[in-house]
Amino acid sequence: MTAPSELISQARKAGRAALDEQAGKALLAAYGIAVPRAVVVGGAAEINGVLAGLTAPVAVKVISPDILHKSDAGGVKVNLRTAAEVADAIRVMMQQPAIAQARIDGFLIEEMAPAGQEIVIGGLRDADFGPLVMVGLGGIFVEVLADVAFRICPITRVDAEGMLAELKGAAILQGARGRKPVPTAAIIDTLLKVGGDDGLLMRHADEIKEADINPLIVSDSGAVAVDARFILT
Amino acid sequence: MSSNVIDEFMPLFAPKTVAVVGASTKGTALPNIFIRRIREFGYAGAIYPIHPTAAEIDGLTAYKSLGETPQPVDYAYIAIAAAQVAPLLAAGKGRVRFAQVISSGFGEVDEGKALQEELAAAARAGGMRLLGPNCLGIYTPRGRVTFAEIGPREVGEVGIISQSGGLGTDIIRRGLNRGLKFSGLVSVGNCADVGPTDLVEFYLADAQTKVIGMYIETAKDGRRLFETLRDARARKPVVVLKGGRTQQGQAAAASHTGSLAGDERVWLALSRQTGCVLVDTLDEFIDALLMFQTLTPHPRHPTQRVVLFGNGGGTSVLATDYFARLGLDVLPFGQSAIDALAAMKLPPGTSITNPVDCPVGTLQQDDGRVAEKILDVIYARGSPDALVMHLNLSAFVGRTKNEVLDNLVQAALRVQEHHPGKAHFVLVLRSDGEPKLEERKREFRARAVELGIPVYDEMANAGHALAALQAHERFVHARA
Repeated sequence: MTAPSELISQARKAGRAALDEQAGKALLAAYGIAVPRAVVVGGAAEINGVLAGLTAPVAVKVISPDILHKSDAGGVKVNLRTAAEVADAIRVMMQQPAIAQARIDGFLIEEMAPAGQEIVIGGLRDADFGPLVMVGLGGIFVEVLADVAFRICPITRVDAEGMLAELKGAAILQGARGRKPVPTAAIIDTLLKVGGDDGLLMRHADEIKEADINPLIVSDSGAVAVDARFILT
Repeated sequence: MSSNVIDEFMPLFAPKTVAVVGASTKGTALPNIFIRRIREFGYAGAIYPIHPTAAEIDGLTAYKSLGETPQPVDYAYIAIAAAQVAPLLAAGKGRVRFAQVISSGFGEVDEGKALQEELAAAARAGGMRLLGPNCLGIYTPRGRVTFAEIGPREVGEVGIISQSGGLGTDIIRRGLNRGLKFSGLVSVGNCADVGPTDLVEFYLADAQTKVIGMYIETAKDGRRLFETLRDARARKPVVVLKGGRTQQGQAAAASHTGSLAGDERVWLALSRQTGCVLVDTLDEFIDALLMFQTLTPHPRHPTQRVVLFGNGGGTSVLATDYFARLGLDVLPFGQSAIDALAAMKLPPGTSITNPVDCPVGTLQQDDGRVAEKILDVIYARGSPDALVMHLNLSAFVGRTKNEVLDNLVQAALRVQEHHPGKAHFVLVLRSDGEPKLEERKREFRARAVELGIPVYDEMANAGHALAALQAHERFVHARA
């Protein structure tokens, strides 16, 4: 496994302003945050009839420094069950205009996280206060309602609990309207790994400008970071 | 560390020698006014006017530079053209402890940014601490030094840091009217050297200061401010009035997180993590400071249940709603309190559940002794965390003897004494702007504040101040 600071310096050497998805996930994994099992292939020809030991269903995502929003570019395909479906998905992707014109580093094939509550965890370097950590519920809660809570790093467990309690959608975590309660311990644990005393944002305070873990899928089997972006300073 | 910060900053708050730069022989410049003000305020230390040519200013021997005064200078008040300040400081030759630069034309304008760097470098080279530039001065009753035309003469317990000089003046003047008394107020301006955090550290360590108030626009040393406040664990209440909170997150943010962050979020986070109390207006700021000056927080049972007692039915109904929105409960009494109040056979029109609505007739009965009995039952059986007594003065006019108001307050204080530490006592004196009534209210308010009672103009003001007290109490309750 590549050391966290190595991941960042490699991206800098390659002249990149951000970590790509696998590097971002490797960074999270180095801080003990679960990410989906995954392999990277160069193209459809490398699939060779097996999913390289992954358990279906899987998702395929294009890896390119030129593509910021993979879904919008047609670079994400989910719920694929066989090697043939994966190979087809890659071939279709390569014909998408935005992808055909881009530099392609490969394709990420990863196991899909079990269904669960989508959470967003973010990070930001504030010019006056240094690293901040953010949490919100995924989807419209963050994107439309801006229902998020911020804290200045490092946070304590009490801070992390307070962040969740502060969300207007907090009742959803408790299991509103007959839904199953979300295991908040897994969210708090992830928040501490990101924003705690020895967390990712404190350790790399001078290197990370912005971070989005979106979504973090939280279910009874724990919290899995399904996508992650790190913008470097 | 705390004794160091006291040693370092005491020459600012109680200077033995003051140098004044920029006073003219004609006696009309701002520094001449400053000399007059500190003399009127009772400053008894040495005053050294600094002037390139004059031998004497305002009857005081003048000196050519900061390096030539008979004694080293604890505090220098400097109001001369921006470009002249750095050379002036350099001539101080390490004999100046604090230099406060009133002059503007520095970092607040683009063409002054380099000049401000130069100024800070000159202060560092001269071994002095720099306040400002672009500020109004310091008001420190313990040191008998003030930039303000009027202000309380007594030394108090409220320590203020203001990034706006004008607002600092407002705080002193309104404080005078409302009964606030200060341990100091420093106008910090552009904060080229001394910033808000330095003064927070001083006030935290300063035995004279009980509550800290801060008007802040930008916190360049935000990280240190956060760490200082966090480590203080709200051992003194800190009230923060933050300007510019509605500024949006970085427009150019590349992430969700970046676009959602903004000043408002950061300061809310600071308040949640450190227990400092955020307020939105100057009125709320003064109201909260008055609450912390007069009352001792109850972190063991944070304020939640409020009893309203006074004349004005609609007023108490509206206040019940308003307090609920602020997270304060005005809940009906339990049966035991209701039974005890019913047994008193109060005159008709007196409601005996919370809010307790008492017409003037009831309040003045037996020279206020009936009110005392009602309050005693409320304290004994009504489980109040705070009691707000509200008096609509218009309803008293022409119907009562002047002493009734005093009697009511004395009654409330006696009840407080019977039930020590039970509930906060807050007074709301409502009026209608009629000059004679306002005058009566002003006199009465002054007497009440002297007795350690926080007095508010309207229920909403009292509500916000109680909410500030509650926020502080809850933080200490949960974290300390």
